[in-house]
Amino acid sequence: MTFFRSLQQVFSRYKILALLIAIALIWSFFAWQSEGAFLTARNLSNLLRQMAITAMLASGMVFVIIAGEIDLSVGSMLGLLGGVAAVLDVSFHLPFGLNLAIVLTLGLLLGLFNGYWVAYLRVPSFIVGLAGMLVFRGILLAVTDGSTIAVESETFIGFGQAYLPISVGNVLAVLLFVMLVVLTLRARANRVRYQLAVPPLWQELGKLAAIAIIIAGFVTVLNSYEGIPVPVLIMLIILGAFSFMARNTVFGRRIYAVGSNLEATRLSGVNTRLVKMALFGLMGLMCALAGLTNTARLAAGSPSAGNMGELDAIASCFIGGTSMRGGSGTILGAIIGALIMASLDNGMSMLSVESYWQMIVKGSILLLAVWIDVVSGSSER
Amino acid sequence: MAEYLLEMRGIVKDFSGVKALNGIDLAVRAGECVGLCGENGAGKSTLMKVLSAVYPHGSWTGQILWNGQELKARGIRETEEAGIVIIHQELMLVPHLSVTENIFLGNEITGFAGTLDYAAMHQRAAELMRDLKMPEVNVALPVSQYGGGHQQLIEIAKALNKKARLLILDEPTSSLTKAETAILLDIILDLKKKGVACVMISHKLDEIAAVCDTISVIRDGTHVGTRPMGELSVDQIITMMVGREITNLFPREEHPIGEVIFEARNVTCFDIDNPARKKVDDVSFQLRRGEVLGVAGLVGAGRTELAMAIFGCYPGKSSATVLLDGKPVHIDSPQTAVKSGLCLVPEDRKRHGIVPLMGVGHNITLSVPEQFSRFGVIDQAAEMQTIEKMIRRMRIKTATPMLAIQGLSGGNQQKAVFAKMLLPAPRVLILDEPTRGVDVGAKYEIYKLMMELVKEGMSIIMISSELPELLGMSDRVLVIGEGRLRGDFINNGLSQETVMAAAIGQTET
Repeated sequence: MTFFRSLQQVFSRYKILALLIAIALIWSFFAWQSEGAFLTARNLSNLLRQMAITAMLASGMVFVIIAGEIDLSVGSMLGLLGGVAAVLDVSFHLPFGLNLAIVLTLGLLLGLFNGYWVAYLRVPSFIVGLAGMLVFRGILLAVTDGSTIAVESETFIGFGQAYLPISVGNVLAVLLFVMLVVLTLRARANRVRYQLAVPPLWQELGKLAAIAIIIAGFVTVLNSYEGIPVPVLIMLIILGAFSFMARNTVFGRRIYAVGSNLEATRLSGVNTRLVKMALFGLMGLMCALAGLTNTARLAAGSPSAGNMGELDAIASCFIGGTSMRGGSGTILGAIIGALIMASLDNGMSMLSVESYWQMIVKGSILLLAVWIDVVSGSSER
Repeated sequence: MAEYLLEMRGIVKDFSGVKALNGIDLAVRAGECVGLCGENGAGKSTLMKVLSAVYPHGSWTGQILWNGQELKARGIRETEEAGIVIIHQELMLVPHLSVTENIFLGNEITGFAGTLDYAAMHQRAAELMRDLKMPEVNVALPVSQYGGGHQQLIEIAKALNKKARLLILDEPTSSLTKAETAILLDIILDLKKKGVACVMISHKLDEIAAVCDTISVIRDGTHVGTRPMGELSVDQIITMMVGREITNLFPREEHPIGEVIFEARNVTCFDIDNPARKKVDDVSFQLRRGEVLGVAGLVGAGRTELAMAIFGCYPGKSSATVLLDGKPVHIDSPQTAVKSGLCLVPEDRKRHGIVPLMGVGHNITLSVPEQFSRFGVIDQAAEMQTIEKMIRRMRIKTATPMLAIQGLSGGNQQKAVFAKMLLPAPRVLILDEPTRGVDVGAKYEIYKLMMELVKEGMSIIMISSELPELLGMSDRVLVIGEGRLRGDFINNGLSQETVMAAAIGQTET
């Protein structure tokens, strides 16, 4: 009993640890069942590429949920923006750079539009999302005329399908590590400057060493196939940037405050409406990135693109430990949640499990994950 | 028959290594009322949660004897069945359900096939209302139709309906007016005669003195002493609670008062539910530099609404002209208010003050992360330095600044909310019931802080329901009654009677 309780405490404090154990279990199961085929570099590279789109959506969604809202329109918005990108490419022959800029701007604007309805016109986000889900899908059908549009630009397709050259991957890995070392040392120096307590050096060095091993392993595996896939790189950049945002910026701080107690935050002089609207803008931006990646990966804009994408994204967030009561959750958790979802998809497809079973399993896992959150939350108070 | 109805022996409860209760004893006879006193964070609420099995048997050590038998309840249902009913500080009524439905919630009288027998329930509810001396309550109406005082009594009716033999009242009068409080205390005396025992937690010692036979004081999770009520004076009780003499209850000192810096003109608020009614009716006043302006009035007089309208957060229709240094400033939201130099420490700490999941430190800097940021990126170390400075200055007791603020006691949470509202360096600080639910020690520290602030030239508007506090701290007192300004007194030996007379509406001046 006490063992169980202390285990529960460890998990509720280090949710990420629980998630990593879940992944280890899922992977070993599939590796065993597929006789090792699941854990080949080729399949892992594939798996990461598959998860990238859901991960991009989840990266935006996690903040929306932390702020106590939800966005059901993201699947349709992804489809619409991906479709618009395909049309701009095929009908207007825009260079990819321009196309990218236009679609990202459009995504931002659509997101802000949603956010305006939620934050300023005070329509519940559930309804705004539901409406957007229909409207965006409708516009997509109108834009594509209901048919699939094959993309022509090579650069565009590369955005979803290309790999980084192996040398570039290695250089980036080293750069990343050097950056982390510099950041750690700077934070340390800063604490010393302000005469605050500093954690022991060996602890930080140990952390850095662990990170080095993870980065090295990651790059080695991917390089032993074709290199780091471009969407995976984008996903990792988002992970880094958003983690930084959540932890170190005024905006990030406010997202959590708004989600935990909106009224207290407002009475502290924070413009809570603006925070909410901006969040939806960010969500729109992520939809644009995911839409572009999706269109590039399929080399076509399709009227059914992103169907049920919102559900995968929302499930990833909840599996990743985001609280449905708002106020807590992490971007890393959401991305690991996406990895779990993608692993289940990939593994079950590999074992040729019927697709209806895949849906049943994914649904059950979601239910289980939220149950665990509820249980660990209620044990605290 | 055992001598005591309830006996708690050597109760120890710890939260991950921190002992919240360290060997507490408490005994209650049938028909006896025990006053439980102690500072916030002393362990009163924890003890009552142990007793009512919110913390089930096994999650603490010690022994509870109920009628001489050991009680090992695993949940609140079992303790209620035994006859132990707790009434929490926050009301636990469902606003949209009727009075009857609330009284019988979870305890319904049912007829054939589980259908509700409304006739029987209404009859019993009306009976309870008569017993509680409020026959005017229509038990078929939703609870939300009634004010805080009635609701508190409806809670008690609910408890009585469960055949309570021991009633635990946690700060039962914190949202009641004087008249409502008097009724409640009368009813407690009545219940005692009928053999119902009570444990009453309260910061208001005069109320404890009025109804309790015995007083039990706990401090830092240990039992300090239990005495018959008559043997202790209020001063002695306070000494037992804080463990030190408080010679100067209000640390008011001479301080210079300067020119008029703030003025509110024609503040008017309309009732949200009833837009024809004015909750605040054309109130105007001035505030000087370094002045403490007390705002007195009965509960519901419109004091909080006045503050909200000035601060730009009144939820209904309102109008106000606010001048700072003689120039009109436009305030339409808390955001513009804080920018103009106004800060508010709200009345309802839980709902409006704290961000519960966030750390104490991040709560403190909630208003002003920009102060430590460049391009929106926060310099964590610089922020932490400010946080630690504020924690030291306010003497907030917390294990680390990263601890979620919901884990702190009420007094420490309030100090953190204060710290938060000081960092924007306001010129005018509005305090709405700043010491509500705060223990004596923390109160004193808050008063001292107020003195420091006005000496630095800040001006304070303090709304309070406690007259001694208002008269002890204010330089000037405004009295609000039924939404109107009923009096504006310089506090030069001002008496409680004068203020109360104005509040009720019997001004001769």
